[in-house]
Amino acid sequence: MNEREIHVTVNGDTRSWSVAPGELLLDVLRREAYWGVKRGCETGECGACAVLLDGQPVNSCLMFAAQADGRRLLTIEGVAHGDRLDPLQEAFLDHGAVQCGYCTPAMVLCTRALLERRADPTEDEVREALSGVLCRCTGYRKPVEAVLAAAKTRSAAAKPKSARRKGAAR
Amino acid sequence: MFDQLRAFHRPTTIAQALRVFRTERRRGGRGAFVAGGTDVVVVGDRRLRYLVDVTNLPLRYIRRRGGGWAIGATSRMADLEHSAQLRRFADGALAEAAGTCGSPQIRNMATIGGNLANASPACDTAPPLLALDASVVVAGPAGRRTVPLDRFFRGVNRTALDGGLLIEILIPAPPIPRRGRAAWSFQKLGRLKSDIAVVNAATGVAVDQSGRCAWARIALGAVAPTPLRARRAEALLVGRVPDRAAIAEAAARVAAELKPVSDVRGTADYRREMSRVLVARALEECAGRLGRSS
Amino acid sequence: MSQHRVVGRRVRKVDGTKLVTGRTAFTDDFEMPGMLIGKILGSPHAHARITRIDTRRAKALPGVHAVLTYQDVPRVPHTTAGQGWPEPSPYDTYLLDSKVRFVGDRVAAVAAESRAIAEEALRRIDVEYEVLPAVLDMEHAMDPGVAVIHDEPDSSHILDPSRNLVGEIHKELGSVEEGFRQADLILEREYRTPRQQHAMLEPHIAIAWLDADDRLVIRTSTQIPFHVRRQVAMILQIPVGRIRVVKPRIGGGFGGKQEQVIDDICAALALATRRPVKLEYTRHEEFFMARTRHPQILKLRMGVRKDGTIVAHHMQVLAATGAYGSHATTVQGNTGSKVLPLYRVPNLKFDCRIVYLNTPQAGAFRGYGCPQGFFAQESLVDEIAHELKMDPIEFRLRNAIRKGDVDELSAQLGEGRRGLPRVMRSCGLPQCLEQGAAAIGWKEKRGKGRRSAGRIRRGVGVACSMQGSGIAGVDFAGAFFKLNEDGSFNLQVGATDLGTGSDTVLAQIAAETLGVSLDKIIIYSSDTDFTPFDVGAYASSTTIISGGAVKKAAEKTRDQVCCFAAKLLETSPEELTCRDDRVFAPDGKSVSMSEVALFALYKEKTQLMEGASHFNTDSPPPFCATFAEVEVDTETGQVSVPHLVTAVDLGVAINPMQAEGQAEGAVAQGLGYALAEELVLDDAGRVVNANFCDYKIFTAKDMPRLTTILVETEEPLGPYGAKSIAEVPINGVAPAVANAVFDATGIRFRTLPIRPDAVLKALREQRAAT
Repeated sequence: MNEREIHVTVNGDTRSWSVAPGELLLDVLRREAYWGVKRGCETGECGACAVLLDGQPVNSCLMFAAQADGRRLLTIEGVAHGDRLDPLQEAFLDHGAVQCGYCTPAMVLCTRALLERRADPTEDEVREALSGVLCRCTGYRKPVEAVLAAAKTRSAAAKPKSARRKGAAR
Repeated sequence: MFDQLRAFHRPTTIAQALRVFRTERRRGGRGAFVAGGTDVVVVGDRRLRYLVDVTNLPLRYIRRRGGGWAIGATSRMADLEHSAQLRRFADGALAEAAGTCGSPQIRNMATIGGNLANASPACDTAPPLLALDASVVVAGPAGRRTVPLDRFFRGVNRTALDGGLLIEILIPAPPIPRRGRAAWSFQKLGRLKSDIAVVNAATGVAVDQSGRCAWARIALGAVAPTPLRARRAEALLVGRVPDRAAIAEAAARVAAELKPVSDVRGTADYRREMSRVLVARALEECAGRLGRSS
Repeated sequence: MSQHRVVGRRVRKVDGTKLVTGRTAFTDDFEMPGMLIGKILGSPHAHARITRIDTRRAKALPGVHAVLTYQDVPRVPHTTAGQGWPEPSPYDTYLLDSKVRFVGDRVAAVAAESRAIAEEALRRIDVEYEVLPAVLDMEHAMDPGVAVIHDEPDSSHILDPSRNLVGEIHKELGSVEEGFRQADLILEREYRTPRQQHAMLEPHIAIAWLDADDRLVIRTSTQIPFHVRRQVAMILQIPVGRIRVVKPRIGGGFGGKQEQVIDDICAALALATRRPVKLEYTRHEEFFMARTRHPQILKLRMGVRKDGTIVAHHMQVLAATGAYGSHATTVQGNTGSKVLPLYRVPNLKFDCRIVYLNTPQAGAFRGYGCPQGFFAQESLVDEIAHELKMDPIEFRLRNAIRKGDVDELSAQLGEGRRGLPRVMRSCGLPQCLEQGAAAIGWKEKRGKGRRSAGRIRRGVGVACSMQGSGIAGVDFAGAFFKLNEDGSFNLQVGATDLGTGSDTVLAQIAAETLGVSLDKIIIYSSDTDFTPFDVGAYASSTTIISGGAVKKAAEKTRDQVCCFAAKLLETSPEELTCRDDRVFAPDGKSVSMSEVALFALYKEKTQLMEGASHFNTDSPPPFCATFAEVEVDTETGQVSVPHLVTAVDLGVAINPMQAEGQAEGAVAQGLGYALAEELVLDDAGRVVNANFCDYKIFTAKDMPRLTTILVETEEPLGPYGAKSIAEVPINGVAPAVANAVFDATGIRFRTLPIRPDAVLKALREQRAAT
């Protein structure tokens, strides 16, 4: 078979994989035990397979593994720091935003990308960021609340100490 | 899914891309160019033997060129959507249209070249590009040719590419009359907020200093085998003040000439009526932007 | 604020961390050496006989380990419905058959070394069909001369197979004929509801293998592990004791997994190959090879006195169960038994017919017959109130069932067998209506739309609904505790958490009863070898029935704890109380749970363990008032919903945060049912929109502002007063939306989903008429 070797940085680790020409990124990721990347539709509509490619959300079911060569990927497995959950993950748990959890990795990744570029998003912006992740369990309300709460937590944590002491307004 | 694929090429120059495509074609079997994959993978043609990935070609740019624009074919929908410059051009009609394609993830992957080359009747970037008199640059073994967009679409998923590679989209400087103004609008109707268009439409209207229409552009998608310009309706507006009556007449004219299909997304009747509604809304928005008092 | 320490608290899910970090949790997050991929060859025809099937070319393909047809497997008539035995559904299904009855029906199955090889193997199976006429229209399925879908002699419990009639239900309380004579106003209307699909994010998936002891292990995404075990045993003719069913985390079910959909064929492939086999539906297959909601045509006739009292109600239902009859009579029975008793009507009549069609199979789906019935009933009631110029809320309150009432209809319309009357020991419906109305702004917003001339017309609508909590006299659960050295308890329950949070809720009940903190409960669920029996997650039963078992078992465990602690504290067990992970004597002396454990294990040489089973002889209904605010764009016909209010009497909320989440998810599905979701079939019986592009479910951008109000009453039959909330919030959404559209436009829509082109057409006709 005409396998090629690709080198991808996943969650900070450099991985080298042998992939067939037609292999899709979702299949390779799950084959390599990144089981947090979910298979939901394989047509790019449900978003459960979303990963961050160089910081931007993409549907891994529509990408050829070969196209990930030399790129940086973030999957849900790379979001927490060891035992320490990301503020988004904490917020999802605190706000009851996780029911079956199948879409949760995609929701966390897509909103993390949002918070990286918009520290103080509006509700509409959060809904837009989530619009490519289908959820059948939550009605989206608690995930949206969780993201807005996480935005506040992240902003507070990012403030320099002196500003926080003075209670400076944003 | 693509278990028959013998090769996935990732050339870095246009010449390389054309060469390797030609070589593969000679070896036999079906093949295609692929960019974001949001059409090729969804269609999932398992007979494909080779793919030539064009995302490593230097075609991801949005540049001003002589009052108009040159947009590289592998620019992502998200690039267009978020380009501050493009949002200020033509009332943001093209940027807005790009921002309605699919979902955020899709927009990070889908390219404008792929969107046009796939030639879905419901392609969202086509109506604003048609309203902007855009053309596409195609690179082929015999060299480059420029094809006006309104001659590029030949049918459902059929184009004038003829095996070539779409490399650039050119938008000329809009011919705004001296001491006149122009405005554009993009409208899209789906069943829910994220959707393939049931109908989409883009209009451009220019008025001279007396407030009369110097030219009009009305383009629609999802109502015919290809995105199209409604030229007779456009002609109706020329020379007139784009008031409510003129707009209603033009919109009605558009609808009267259409023969859309009925499918699971909408009936023919509904599409026809929505064409009228969306064109009217688009023209009203143009008129509003032109500062007409109602 | 809850008066309890753990129950009533908005605690995090006990399994939340692993879900939010994407750790291996779901069926597919699993590898076994030598695992094969299973795939099913689905019929291209809606109705056909297999006249020849040749698998030699498929078997010859390298990498193919098994190809099964009806010739290779036992023929055992059964139902796939996840119900207690004996299931009240026809035994009309076969593992593989020589006849196919819908597009996608099983023709053959393969197991191969890769997905690509399996798919190629399917293409190499040579099949010849005798195509039969397809029966696709439920209104004509029983016509003379129409093709017979189930003409096989060995199926059973089909009322009249020769006329494609699965079953009929006829019940009457009082006399509707007499009642109509007393009526000042009679309205008769017809309503139509579509095939809705569960569209859970995780498709159906199972992995089956033979373990080292030659026992069949099935790791599967199912709501009914124990029913799966029993049914697979029956279908494959192996003893129940030789099968173990394990349910990992599930990516949603909503009733679509209250069904044994692929476990049998996956297991058959594992047995044939003696290798692990994974079988997973693609999303495309999910849309037509799984299950759907039953589409119905409902004819309602209601008579009222001019003071607004309903005196007679006759509901007639025609439903299509698709190619096989799982849940056919029980879903439709519910349309009568859970919907009609909402109002105190002395004369009730329910007539129902369920027919086979050569279409995808219907089955259980959240609400289980109620969304259809409430759409019809709450729309009609709204129309009558309008005719009488009565406020719709006042009309409902006037007629609604009250605390203390007895619902006799349930006794007649039990789920497939003689039921039990339901006593309303708790009923918060008036508070639901009052609080919901305030939240939506009922007084300010009602009646404005029809008078407005603008492009956007606004309106508000209301609908009431109820459900049940478990199936009386049928649903039961077991729970088992054992105590560990550190004072933690293993809690083993058969109950099935499909994302609903039942593991958390049951752990909360356990912790509360035992007087320990939540993290001292280690819950393990849904493993037929290691957990006691539970019917599974359906009928809104888990909190009340499984929770009831947990509470009982916890009480017994607590008693045993006190027995041991009494020895340590030198007092009598009855004097002791458990709280804060300790056992307290009246004089304030205490021992820790851990000390009790060490004492029991190492001094008394006893494992402190207790179990209990629980069922109820009643099914206390949760009540719900749903309020919708809509905006109708009169140019495009689009209906959008800016605000939706759900006020639910769920008894007591064990975990209010989870309860709200359940309600909000149910509402999202209800909105889809009302406005967007419908499986569309062509005239050859194929599903035309078998993908998320054209089967539209609401995204985050489509959802309205949601207000969720939990109205707490105390239900004596539920643990800590709980009833249920899993299903009821879906029921009132479609009628509330339809009633709001009426408020906005003056037009009644009686077919779901309410599509923009239908709205536009109706608005045009309205303009023409005026």
